[in-house]
Amino acid sequence: MGRSYIVEDDVEEYLSKLCSQPAGPVTGLLIGQSSAQRDFVVMATRTPQNDESAAAGTSEYKEWVSEHARQVSRMLPGGLSVLGVFIVSESDAKDTLTTLRQLVFSVENLISSEQLWTPAEDDVTDCVTLHINPKTRKTVCRTFDVKDPKSVAKPADWKYQSGVCSSWATVSCWLSIDLLVPLPDSTTCTSNMDDCLKEELKVWAQQIERGVCVIDGKKLPEDSEIKTGQKNVRQTYTAQLLIAPEVQTVTDVVQRCGGCVSVRGAIHSRAFLHSNKPKAKLAEKLLKRDIISTVATRVHMLLEEPSTQNEQNKGRKQTEQFCLPRRVFCPVKGTGSLSVCDYQFSDEGLSEMTDRFKEMLDMEAAEDDLDATQEMIAEVIESETTAEASTEKVEPLDPWRNNYVGVAMATAVALLASAASMLYLSDV
Amino acid sequence: MVLLDSESVVILRLRGPLELKCHADSTDVVLMQKAISRSFEDLRLQVKSESCVLAVCDSPVLIWPNKCVFEEITPDTPCEDVFQLIQTADQDPGGKRSTKKKNRKGLSASVINLSLMMEATKPGPLSAPVLARTIQTSHFLRATLPVDCAVRSGCSDTIKDGCGRLLEALTRQLFDMEKATLRHMRGATLLVPEPLHFLLPEPNGLVTVVFPRGVPDNELEAQRRELHGKFELPDDRPYFRRANAYHFPNEPYKDGYLRNPHVVLTHPALDNGKVFLVQGFYSYHHYMQDRVDDNGWGCAYRSLQTICSWFQQQGYVERCVPSHKEIQQALVDVGDKQTSFVGSRQWIGSIEVQAVLDHLLGVTSKILFVSQGSELASKGRELANHFLSEGTPIMIGGGVLAHTILGVAWSETTGEIRYLILDPHYTGAEDLQVITEKGWCGWKGPDFWDQTAYYNLCLPQRPRAI
Repeated sequence: MGRSYIVEDDVEEYLSKLCSQPAGPVTGLLIGQSSAQRDFVVMATRTPQNDESAAAGTSEYKEWVSEHARQVSRMLPGGLSVLGVFIVSESDAKDTLTTLRQLVFSVENLISSEQLWTPAEDDVTDCVTLHINPKTRKTVCRTFDVKDPKSVAKPADWKYQSGVCSSWATVSCWLSIDLLVPLPDSTTCTSNMDDCLKEELKVWAQQIERGVCVIDGKKLPEDSEIKTGQKNVRQTYTAQLLIAPEVQTVTDVVQRCGGCVSVRGAIHSRAFLHSNKPKAKLAEKLLKRDIISTVATRVHMLLEEPSTQNEQNKGRKQTEQFCLPRRVFCPVKGTGSLSVCDYQFSDEGLSEMTDRFKEMLDMEAAEDDLDATQEMIAEVIESETTAEASTEKVEPLDPWRNNYVGVAMATAVALLASAASMLYLSDV
Repeated sequence: MVLLDSESVVILRLRGPLELKCHADSTDVVLMQKAISRSFEDLRLQVKSESCVLAVCDSPVLIWPNKCVFEEITPDTPCEDVFQLIQTADQDPGGKRSTKKKNRKGLSASVINLSLMMEATKPGPLSAPVLARTIQTSHFLRATLPVDCAVRSGCSDTIKDGCGRLLEALTRQLFDMEKATLRHMRGATLLVPEPLHFLLPEPNGLVTVVFPRGVPDNELEAQRRELHGKFELPDDRPYFRRANAYHFPNEPYKDGYLRNPHVVLTHPALDNGKVFLVQGFYSYHHYMQDRVDDNGWGCAYRSLQTICSWFQQQGYVERCVPSHKEIQQALVDVGDKQTSFVGSRQWIGSIEVQAVLDHLLGVTSKILFVSQGSELASKGRELANHFLSEGTPIMIGGGVLAHTILGVAWSETTGEIRYLILDPHYTGAEDLQVITEKGWCGWKGPDFWDQTAYYNLCLPQRPRAI
């Protein structure tokens, strides 16, 4: 009794197109949502050609595909994930199976090494492999359990259908974050900040996971069903998340430190739920995972930027601010309410977004299609005065808010051209 | 002994950790203190903000007190009705809920537990996050404050009023915690302020005091003296030692022993009679507990353990209840027994009990001797006076068995007398119903005693201290 994959018609079209290209074997990723009963594939995207055109089966090739998967995974909101790998090639299905098996394991390992959320017992751990022969159009679909290194290929159903995600529901929220971490007391180098921040993110992620999720004003029992609405009627839910710190986190202490790092602001989080009687528990799980991923992704992206590397500490007080990239959404054509996302640094334009959507997800998107309204770019203002939350409307969780103005992206680009803006803050 | 009137009072208890994080720019102590005060002020603003949420434990009820949003109930719901929405552990999960949490006669009031949470979500769109990095040799303070507020409420008070009072108590507690933190800062160490609740005699009622965690009671005498003055309490008995902290009725005791099984009993009504009982709390110690099979020889040891538990729970001593071996070792240490006594199954009597109480707890005891059991019937006045002035459990032993006397019902005019006996010979589990119904803790008449045997009673004296 194998798994059953319900696949969007558009994916069939896309895969057909790849078959008719003369370019030779194509590898790519399959994207969708798994559930206990069945799995849904809503998108497919070919892995871009790499310069060395590493041959299939080599380890460079595996790394390349895995890296593609890692990048794609960062572009998927909650509920969507890389479900598996496809290969379009004239080789025998049996030969490609070994390659496919290696690929799905490698992809899964790389993606899960980044994730900060705890896997759940009821997570589906099967990944799908698809082999298509472009000449005969014969499709062979197998699954592997990526949690079991010894797993063997199991046959699975692959069925095309129209309107697979037309009545999927969306759960979303804006969540504010306020992290403050001390830096160790030594000549600081960037790796220290990275580690401290990553540790703090783990603690924060656990706090999110423990949080109480309220959907449309109600704390729903785990097994209650979320209504996904009729066909072509979009059902959206707003969620609220209530959190509290762990009763005893670290030992309570006053410590000497070499400074501190804070991350403050808000993110927009979104998760999609399949339409086959999803439970409240699922909505909560997917939304929390998206919250955790979007923050972790952005912090990683910022830390990977060369401009965040630290100058030598000259022995005096030094403060710098860096904007985390903001989340920009792009609707997936033909899928109703689904969207993918990307992150825009303050020095990037929307055209860079559309380029990335094309490169990573093989998606044609116009700048007008992009939704950049969910998050505003934070404007970092140079000022001598302390950024104290002292105005009438005080939002203590987001004390910087009064200094931030949602500005048009172009202005922000100009202001933030110099990454290391010196700001004097007398206290955090 | 003060118990709350269970019929008309509900306690609302709000708990929740609050994280205090403070980055102080410099290593200067005064600036550090200012930074700490600012961080506390931030926390106070947080609890006054619209993001503050009170969640009623084990129920779907959520309350945003600062924007008057109530989920699953209306703001005017009386506090006692909130119980209908709370799912307790001993309910049949699929079955019907009882309409009111049953209160066993004489036990303390009902408690509604709430958790303090913050809503992290907000209406958007909002600004994307900014990472700010400050490099400077400085100090970082991080503490998890164990916030714990309790307010009493009449059953018919609305939940909205109750929450309002809880938030006031919370703000006050944050001020108290700030004071305590600053007062007890010693260079680079921080003592976490820990709230404890104390049930004081009326009209004070339930009072919350913040003590620095980890500081032993004997170093806090000055603070206790201030409190005794503030609440006009006698200065010869402890009210504010950690052991005196109020134990909320719905919390099981971690050690598993029963506390005060006698409170569920109906006391005898004698003509012109009065009931004189042990004051405060004790644990019921009896045969076979702690995996020690002392059936047949350990009754006096168990009575002694019950007495020791009284001194610990009233805050007179910090040492925990001694084991059989520790009791035997104490007797060897005072020269009363040979070293071979330790590990043996030899009986002890009132004199040994007195010696151990003195050696291990620093408690003196009076010995009362009766040459025959029938004389006990005439000791009503002495026993009554003991319970009035000392209020400690009495160990009675003689040629035959040892028991603990927890109280006496005595009529001055008729001379009728009954004894409240806690029997250490019970070998079963900590089942309150069995213990009280079968008389292991129960009122006995004068014929309970062997009329011809002699008895020694050990009457422990309460130290006069706070």
